[in-house]
Parts: sequence; C-alpha cells; structure tokens
Amino acid sequence: MKTIITTITTALLIGTVTLYGDGDRKKKQPYMPETGKAAELYKTECGACHMAYQPEFLPKRSWEKMMRTLSEHFDTDATLDREEYRTIQAYLLRNASDAKPVYGDTGKIARSIRAEQTPLRISQTRYFRKEHREIPKRLIVQKEVRSIANCTACHTKAEKGDYSERAIFIPNYGKWDD
Amino acid sequence: MKRELIVLAYLAGTLAYGGTVDDYIQNLAAQAKKQNPSFDGFSAKRGKNIYFSKHIGKRGKEISCASCHTNDPKQPGENIFTGKKIKPLSPSVNPKRFTDVKKIKKWLRRNFKDVYRREGSATEKGDILLFMRSN
Repeated sequence: MKTIITTITTALLIGTVTLYGDGDRKKKQPYMPETGKAAELYKTECGACHMAYQPEFLPKRSWEKMMRTLSEHFDTDATLDREEYRTIQAYLLRNASDAKPVYGDTGKIARSIRAEQTPLRISQTRYFRKEHREIPKRLIVQKEVRSIANCTACHTKAEKGDYSERAIFIPNYGKWDD
Repeated sequence: MKRELIVLAYLAGTLAYGGTVDDYIQNLAAQAKKQNPSFDGFSAKRGKNIYFSKHIGKRGKEISCASCHTNDPKQPGENIFTGKKIKPLSPSVNPKRFTDVKKIKKWLRRNFKDVYRREGSATEKGDILLFMRSN
C-alpha cells in the first residue's frame, strides 16, 4: 500500500512539474514515448510507407477516424488484419494528444486543433502551417523530400520526436534559421 | 539449445500464419485451377507483365509496381508519394523477402488495390510471386 501511495505521489509530482514546464519556456521536456510491442508494431506497420508519426500529434477523434478509413488511407489501401488493427488502434488512442499531457512541438500542434475539427493530416493543423509557411515550395516538392508529410527529410531527429530547429537540415538548402 | 528454440519459434510462427510460402503458393494454384480448369501452372512471364503494366491507380495517377519498386527488383525503391525508402524486392539481394505468408498476403492485397484498383486473382498473385522469387 505504502508503495502504491509513493508511486502515485511521485507520478503526481512529476506530472505537476512537467505541466508547469510546458509552454514557451526554454527548458524542453524530453519526449518520452511508450515503448514495447504495440509501439513496435505501429512502427513496422505504419512506418512501412511513411514515418510513424508520434500519436501525440492528433486527438483521439482523429485517430478513430484514421483507423475507420484505412481502406482509403490518403487514397492508398492500408488495411490491417484484425489483431494488428486492435493493437494499433489501442496504442494510438492511449497516446493521443487528449489522452495524456503532451509537450513541446507535438503539444503545440495538438493544441492548435479546434474542438470542431477532426484533422487526418498533421500538415493541415494551424500550428504546423504557421511553422512551415516560409518554406519555398520547390524545397518541398524536390525528389529528396517529395511531400510536406515527409518529416524525416528535413527534421533529422523526427523519429525520436525531436523537431527542434537545430535538428533541421533541408536537402539542397541546409540549416534553417527562422 | 538457442537454435532449437529459434526453430521452434519459427515453426510456431509459420503454423499460426497458415503454413509456409510454398504451401501458400500451392493453395493459390488450387484456387486458380478451380476458377479456370485450363490453368496449367504459374508463369513468371505473366508475372513480369503484371509488374510492369501501367494503370490509373487508386491515387488517380498512372503507375505500375515498378513506379515505387523500380525497373530492377534488385534495386532499393522508394514510395513515390511519401518518399519512404523501400528495401529491394528481389530475394537474391534481400533474403527476407517472401518468407512470411502473412506479410505476402497483406502486401499483395494492398498493392493490387493501389495499382489495379481491385484484388488480384489467385492466378495473378501466383504469377507475380513466381516472377519476384525468380529475380
């Protein structure tokens, strides 16, 4: 019992500290992703065609819609078998932006989504568009990038959830200074 | 001991997914024969044609399998829509290819729909598999 209380108290303390550390303060929260089988499955299945975007980018309603429409997934067939479907769906829902506190750039994107919106494209969220509006189209359509959804082409640490400016390197351009 | 465990795990894996790749291909052959009594085996030549022929795909753009997997299955490919790199399809350079029935089924289903906008028939699936495995 004592252990449980200690654990809860510690969790609450960490929660409070991290909550107050959020926002525009310089001190960044490291991204602490869920690890384990479900996370690995998500990476192999969804990551086969594109970067496995951190689930924290979008709210539960977006992931629910995403999973309901896999046969028409951005005009591609991305259907899964039943067991994989269930594992991935549960993983996405428990890590969605409104399922737990999220920090940093992922959190900023998630918070820029209005309550009445259910975006499927992270690239159509308000904060994402604001942050990418100055990038010339030619740098996006070039063959080294191809799509604005190809995070890793420029965000060299995107797969680790690090979208910081110092980790940006745009092919045929170089570092990006805001 | 470790090796035995690996073999056991492998066996359990293949059983759970309905047998080996050869079993799967035999299964396809039986289906093909049922659908077309004059069927007399899969053809790598027909498979090659399936791989290279162009169609208006699911995204409304004219594509073939080669659009992403390149004209030479020994070469690494790239998803032309997302930019994601794809490992070579040819088992001669990528021995992991075509060893997992579950994976084979999944990608045949998806990719036929993406390029041909329909499921492949048993004959077509066997033909393309034969072409891929002979590369």
